Parts: sequence; C-alpha cells; structure tokens
Amino acid sequence: MRLLKTARWITVLGLALLAAVYVRALAFTPVERVQGAAQKIFYLHVPAAIWTEAGMVLVGVASIFFLFLKDPRLDRFAEASAEVGMMFGTIVLTTGPIWGKPIWGTWWTWDARLTLTLLLFLMYVGYLLLRGAVTDPGLRARYAAVLGISGMCLVPFVHLSVYMFRTLHPQPIVLKPSAPSLPGDMLATLLFSFVVFTILYVGFVTQRYALALLREQADQHA
Amino acid sequence: MPENTSYMVAAYVITAAILVGYAVLLYRRTLKP
Amino acid sequence: MPDVWRHAWRLARKDLLVEFRSRTAILSAVVFTVLVLMVFNFGRDPTAVAAVDLAPSILWVTFTFAAMLALNRAFQLELENQALDGLLLAPVSRSSIYLGKLIANLAFVATVEAVGLPLFALFFNVSILPVLGPLLAVLALATVGFVAVGTLFSAMTARTRFAELLLPVLLLPFMIPPLIWAVLATAALLAGRPLSEAVGWLRLLAAFDIVFVSLAFFLFPATVDE
Repeated sequence: MRLLKTARWITVLGLALLAAVYVRALAFTPVERVQGAAQKIFYLHVPAAIWTEAGMVLVGVASIFFLFLKDPRLDRFAEASAEVGMMFGTIVLTTGPIWGKPIWGTWWTWDARLTLTLLLFLMYVGYLLLRGAVTDPGLRARYAAVLGISGMCLVPFVHLSVYMFRTLHPQPIVLKPSAPSLPGDMLATLLFSFVVFTILYVGFVTQRYALALLREQADQHA
Repeated sequence: MPENTSYMVAAYVITAAILVGYAVLLYRRTLKP
Repeated sequence: MPDVWRHAWRLARKDLLVEFRSRTAILSAVVFTVLVLMVFNFGRDPTAVAAVDLAPSILWVTFTFAAMLALNRAFQLELENQALDGLLLAPVSRSSIYLGKLIANLAFVATVEAVGLPLFALFFNVSILPVLGPLLAVLALATVGFVAVGTLFSAMTARTRFAELLLPVLLLPFMIPPLIWAVLATAALLAGRPLSEAVGWLRLLAAFDIVFVSLAFFLFPATVDE
C-alpha cells in the first residue's frame, strides 16, 4: 500500500532528524545557568505538549466535518490523531515531572498547565475506550465524533483557568506579545525540534490511518 | 559536568523510547492488520 | 421553539413520575449522601483540621457522586424496556428528548442537593445562611454543567457493554474544571471572602453551561439517529 510506504519513510526521516535534534540540544546548545542540564528537557517537552493539544483540536475539527460530511476518511483521521496525540501526551506527562523534580522540588503540582495535559490525556483515553466499546462502525464513528467535539470545546476553558491562576509553571517565553526572550541558539534548537515533532506527527498519523484502512479492508474481505 | 544531568538523560531516554517504541508498534501492527 | 420545550417538559414529567413513584433511586442517592458526609466527618481529626477547610471539597464530592447516580439511570430505564425506540418514533424532536432528560436529571440531583446542603451545614457546623444566595448560584451553575454533559454522554454509553464504568471515565475530564471552579467559589464564600473573589469562577461556570448545554442540544441527535 503506497500510503503506508510513504508514511513509513516519513516516520524514519522524522526519527533520523530526531537524532540530530538530540545531538544539537545536548552538545551544541548552551547550558542554562539556573536550571543546569535539566533545562534541555524543554526542547522535547514543549513540542510534544504543542502536538498533544493540537492533536486534540484536530480530532475535534475532523469530528465536526465528519458529522456534516459523513466521510469515513475523517473518522479514520480522528482515530489516528487521537492515538498519536495520546502518545505525545505520554511524553509530556513523563518529561514534565522529570523536569519538575530538580527545578521545583516536586514530581507533580496541580498547576494549570500540567492539569491541562492530564485532562487531555484522560480525554484521549476516554475517546479510544469509547471507540473500543462500540461494535457497530457507523455508531462508533458518530459517538466518537460527539466526544471529540466535546473534548475540543473543553480545551479553551482549561486555558482560561491557566491565566486566572498564579502558577509554578514557567510563564510563556516564546509565544507572547513581545519578542521571544529565549536566546537565539536555544530558540533555534526549539524550532528545529518542533519541526521534527511535526514530521513525526504526520508520519505516525498517516501510518495509523493506513492501519485503520487496512483493517477495514480486511474486515470486508472476511 | 552541569548539574541535574541525570534528569536530563532520563527524560531524553524515555522520550526516545516512547517515540521509537510507537514506531515499532505501528510497523508490526501494519504487517498483519 | 415552544414545541421543543412543551415536549421536553412532558418527557421530563414522565421520567420524574416513574422515578418518584418507585422512589428507590432518590432514596438511595439521599442515603448515600448522608453516608458520605458521615464518613468524611469521622475521617478527619477535628483538632487538626478545621471543618471549613475541608468543607467545600466534601460538599462537592458528595454532590458529584449523586450526579453520577442520576446519570447512570438516565437512559438505562429506557433501554431495559426498549422504550427508547418508542420514544424515537414519537413525533417529538430529538432535542426535546435531550432537554427532557436534562430536566429530569437536574430535578433528581437538585432534590439530593436540597437534602444534602442543610445536612452538610449541620454536620460540619458551617454557616451557610449569610452566603446562601451566591452559594445556591454556584450549586445551580455547576450542577447544570455536569448534568448537561453527563446526559449527552449517557445516551452513548447506555448502549455499550460496560456502561456504568465507561460513563464516569468519559465524564471525568469534563467534570474536573467545573468542579474545581465550584470548589474554589464555595471555599471563597464559606471563608467569608468578598463576593468579588468568587465572581470570576461563577462567570466561568456560567460560560461553561452556556457552551455545553448548547453543544449537547445540537449533538444529541447524532447519538440517537440512524
């Protein structure tokens, strides 16, 4: 299957570039003064966090279009984005505490951003469990779409809470109204890492989509 | 050696494990859907 | 538009008549509430922890459980008697069915809360009368929030195998934000802080309600249509 082959190559490219990110982050980016080596976790944690959230938004958007257009490709994409999003969420929820322990002295705090990521993760789990619990494909797609849209609508509320709360979590230093206050070298590493995570998202989602398609075709033949 | 290196290593190893692990998982699942 | 409401009221009345005639569900919810309140009370050391510190959390955990009980029953009754198919054939819009269920569920949870709140004030020696108005507003807004989402989701989980397990899992991420805001607002009110501190949370609760009731209203037909 051509789609699958292309997707595999994209993933391999992504993983190879990931190795390059590692080298750049670890050997060619300056060590931050206050946080020491632990700060470098940032270069993996932030892109993963962005894609965890973007993955959920895409599930929601695909779900909205699915309810109107009823195109099964949209449902397959939503399923793929959910699984990949959950995987990125796992990265955020593991690297986050590992970063937090030396910096804040605690593995977990209920600061708003960590809470958001945990909620996103729980939504992904719920979404995939719901899909697993419904046997009829038509019903499954519709139910998943309803849940996906609801999940997407929850995200802005949690963000609002972030800004209403004083938090331990580092304040935005890149995406804020004034110019990014991250030094050039570090910003470059972060952007490079973000591009690589994007490539990985695309590769993984396409493979997962292809898998769903293959399974449907196998079911039809059976 | 800068401080907190062990945390950095742990995070980098885990991230790689998750990403490579998922890639392998997908590869094997697509071999026999 | 008025038709939707008329049908919704009629459907809600039907549900509530069934519920209150048998009385088992409402009684178990009330008994459960009392039990939870008692357990929380015996679980703390009164000399170490002031009641007013734990009170908001206790109140909301109790009401959340009551809401879950109500929601689990919401569509089960219909499914057991295959009455849902009959309902779908009736000349009422899908959205009326949603509104009717929502109203019935809200009435159920409100009854439990009406019993639970005074008991809570009694058992924990918390003075709620001075802040009763705003407190009732928090109660109303938060309850509408989780029951709105819960009614929508219970329509989907009712037909799955592990319905009672799946519903709480799906609902959990949607209950956490309103629950947090409700607890924060309740804590501010019970601690005697100025109303302006609670207002932000109340606004979030109101916005949540508007968004999710409307969303559920529009999405509900997708859960029952063929």
